[in-house]
Amino acid sequence: MDTTDRKDSVAKIKEAHRLLKRYEYTPQKIQRGYTNKTLYINISDNTIKSKDVPEEIKDKFTGGKGLGLWYLWNSVTKDTKWDDPENEIIISPGPVGGITQYPGAGKSLVVSLSPTTGSVMDSNVGGHFGPLMKFSGWDALEIQGKAKEDIIIYIDGNKGIVEIYEVPIGPVNSHILAEEVTEFFAESEEEKRNISVISAGEAAEHTLFGVLNFSFYDRRKKVQRLKQAGRGGIGTVFRNKKIKAIAVKYNGVKGDSNNPADIDTIRKLGLKLHKEIKEHDKDQCRMREIGTAHLVEIMDDYDLLPVHNFKYGSHEEAYKIDSKVLAKKVVQGSPDGCWHGCSMSCAKAVQDYELKTGPYKGHKVVVDGPEYETVAGVGSNCGIFDPDYIIECNFYCDTYGIDTISFGTTMAFLMECYENNILNKEITGGIELNFGNKDAAMEVLHQMAKGTGFGKIAGLGVRRIKNLLIEKYGADPKFLNDIGMEVKGLEYSQYVSKESLAQQGGYALANKGPQHDEAWLIFMDMVNNQIPTFEDKAEALHYFPIFRTWFGLNGLCKLPWNDIEPPDNHLTDEPAKVPEHVENYVQLFNSVTGKNIDKEEMILQSERVYNFQRVFNLKMGFGTREHDIPPYRSMGPVTEEEYLSRQERYDKQLKELVGVNPEKMSTAEKIEALREYKYKQYDKLVDAVYKRRGWNKNGIPTVELMKKLGMDFPEVIKLIEEHSSE
Amino acid sequence: MIRVNQRDMDFREGMTVKNLLEDLKYSFPNLIVRINGEYIPRESYEKTVIKDNDDISIIHPIAGG
Amino acid sequence: MKFLQKDETLCIQCHACESTCAQAFFKSDDRTKSSIKIFDDPGERNEIINVCNQCGECISICPELAIYRAKNGVVMIDKKKCVGCLMCVGFCPTLSMRIHKDFLEPFKCIACGQCAKQCPTKAIEIKHID
Repeated sequence: MDTTDRKDSVAKIKEAHRLLKRYEYTPQKIQRGYTNKTLYINISDNTIKSKDVPEEIKDKFTGGKGLGLWYLWNSVTKDTKWDDPENEIIISPGPVGGITQYPGAGKSLVVSLSPTTGSVMDSNVGGHFGPLMKFSGWDALEIQGKAKEDIIIYIDGNKGIVEIYEVPIGPVNSHILAEEVTEFFAESEEEKRNISVISAGEAAEHTLFGVLNFSFYDRRKKVQRLKQAGRGGIGTVFRNKKIKAIAVKYNGVKGDSNNPADIDTIRKLGLKLHKEIKEHDKDQCRMREIGTAHLVEIMDDYDLLPVHNFKYGSHEEAYKIDSKVLAKKVVQGSPDGCWHGCSMSCAKAVQDYELKTGPYKGHKVVVDGPEYETVAGVGSNCGIFDPDYIIECNFYCDTYGIDTISFGTTMAFLMECYENNILNKEITGGIELNFGNKDAAMEVLHQMAKGTGFGKIAGLGVRRIKNLLIEKYGADPKFLNDIGMEVKGLEYSQYVSKESLAQQGGYALANKGPQHDEAWLIFMDMVNNQIPTFEDKAEALHYFPIFRTWFGLNGLCKLPWNDIEPPDNHLTDEPAKVPEHVENYVQLFNSVTGKNIDKEEMILQSERVYNFQRVFNLKMGFGTREHDIPPYRSMGPVTEEEYLSRQERYDKQLKELVGVNPEKMSTAEKIEALREYKYKQYDKLVDAVYKRRGWNKNGIPTVELMKKLGMDFPEVIKLIEEHSSE
Repeated sequence: MIRVNQRDMDFREGMTVKNLLEDLKYSFPNLIVRINGEYIPRESYEKTVIKDNDDISIIHPIAGG
Repeated sequence: MKFLQKDETLCIQCHACESTCAQAFFKSDDRTKSSIKIFDDPGERNEIINVCNQCGECISICPELAIYRAKNGVVMIDKKKCVGCLMCVGFCPTLSMRIHKDFLEPFKCIACGQCAKQCPTKAIEIKHID
């Protein structure tokens, strides 16, 4: 869309919009990372109010995801569904979020009940919204209710104004909407950089895995770039509430806007990491050059890159979509942090990409990404090795508001169903969903946006599609449950975990469902063989998920922790923990808040929230052992072709690990024997992990643990006691 | 027979660290290699010959996902 | 392009340039507020005089577009736009971008030439090149 068109469109919106509510407030000055106020908005009756954040709640939940879980817990009952007005969307950056000196300090954490899991979901996202919202006076934004017509919520952090507008006309898709909303609220060209917009898109309305796009204004390209709160369908909740956009404007970000206790230490820590990244990133992960997509060829080499719905871990055509190819597609030499001071700069952009399909065919656009997850998800996992398809699919997923991870895993599952005649052209409406058919995948994506045809089925996600195919089309439940890559209703992210028992647990035990942000142990476990025993694996599955939770309490990004490492890290006692960077985080927290935590207290902060989230799952009818079981595709070969493709490896495992002689067995028998062994191993792992975490055999945190953590709220204890006596 | 990350592997006369990394498809540039506890710097991969019964550890240090 | 050229063989480490710079820029007697730095010990980098050579690497590092090259070729920081992220400090190839705890934003040599006037040995001089 050119500038004149946009100005026309914005003029029309200005004419059509109607102010529903205006709320004025005196922006709280931030004290050591906290404003101590939460903005509550009920969009059913347009109530807007300011809530205090008590010290006790800060002590127990820290901030970010912790605050979000607490507010949601108090808003929903065990019977609340994702599309009930009671469900909330809570956005919070956490106390460290908003500092400008240390890389990766601008994350927002979003919490809501998920359409795909039915339980509590958390998703982290970059972009400027969270910090600008905090500088506007709010530790968290809590949205409840449902609007009657499409609305836009606006926060002006300098004037102290919150407004709700009814905006019945205009675009919904994010790449246009984010620009128009920015244009709408910017009083000058210069102000655009101080505006961040949250939006979803048309497909978020018609599928269950909608994302929220959080923008940051790219000063060089003069465009709102989009980062996604991708997992678990919170964008779907957003559109179901008839929210079109939430915008914040705050002019005047400075190095001390977060008003930390000790800015000097923060500056020293930040500068040290900037230098580390400058010196070593080019020899380590090349984040500044290509971002997370550097992993494509590494994963392919280790047989970990998902191919054909996670059947295989590598493919001879993977070189066509590897980081060397993608590095030529994205703009080089342009620092692309999604918040100030992120010298890791993993965000990448393809500029002037001319779209080949869909409603914007022929338009030249800026596409964010592609990140590793997107390349693997919509590319290799679907058997599509075409970088332009990946970029186009990335663009449409973003603007339509769809999670590229869930889209990729769902599409790969559908393709395998199609190749096994579980799906056919009658069901797909004539679409030939073979692996590698990029036109077919793209068509389904456009259908998802319109809510038409097979897109309606595809947008349900793996769990619901499995049930539909079983119930309506008589598909074999065992096979579908084996190949449907979901746990708890959430689709897997893009790593093959077959050869790493710890990662099988990392995925299937994760609180929100199989997303690797909780635990990523493949290198430690499979490649390096550093955690060989069940106890070692259980320790890793205790420490790392808990440690990683901490980023989400504080508005931090995980990448600068271990995608850059000090050159002498391998000489430390526990290199996998990156001790020097952990110490940085302890000091960062203390320098912002003025508190005096150590690395043990840091773990306790996380443990409180992690266990609370587990009990939250219990409250919603989940959170027990039966919900922690992975599909067999994530553990071993389901089909004969899959077994035979790595026969030598699997035969060896039968001989050495299972203790049977594969020579006299049929492939089917071998598959069965391996499967039995792998599930037994998994069961032993789960026992060890539950024990290490202080949970009972059914995966429920004990009353003693919750008391020790100070999370023994009466409702929590009641829930645990009810379920433990069953 | 050699041991690599506590797993048995066949020994081949004359194999270097570089050969071993290629066999294993370890393409990440920044690995930590030790032979019988002794650290082998990257520039020595090509000239370091592996002996039978060597105990080798290859650590991929950066934690990925 | 205008820049401050150094000849380390002439430097007698009197630090007059530092005092002049801190005074000219910040009206301060605190030499740590100087954009030019003189090392009594050349150290690992084997350097006595450290000062910006106006290479402009920091211009492309800054996402805020707060660093720019002025008409006379000197690299300048727009303090209004700067958010104090210090990336330019960490990524400066010659480590010549300065910070001080009294200021949120970094600062650097703008080749004003005040220090050169005070240098007793002509170890530093303003140069113009195309």
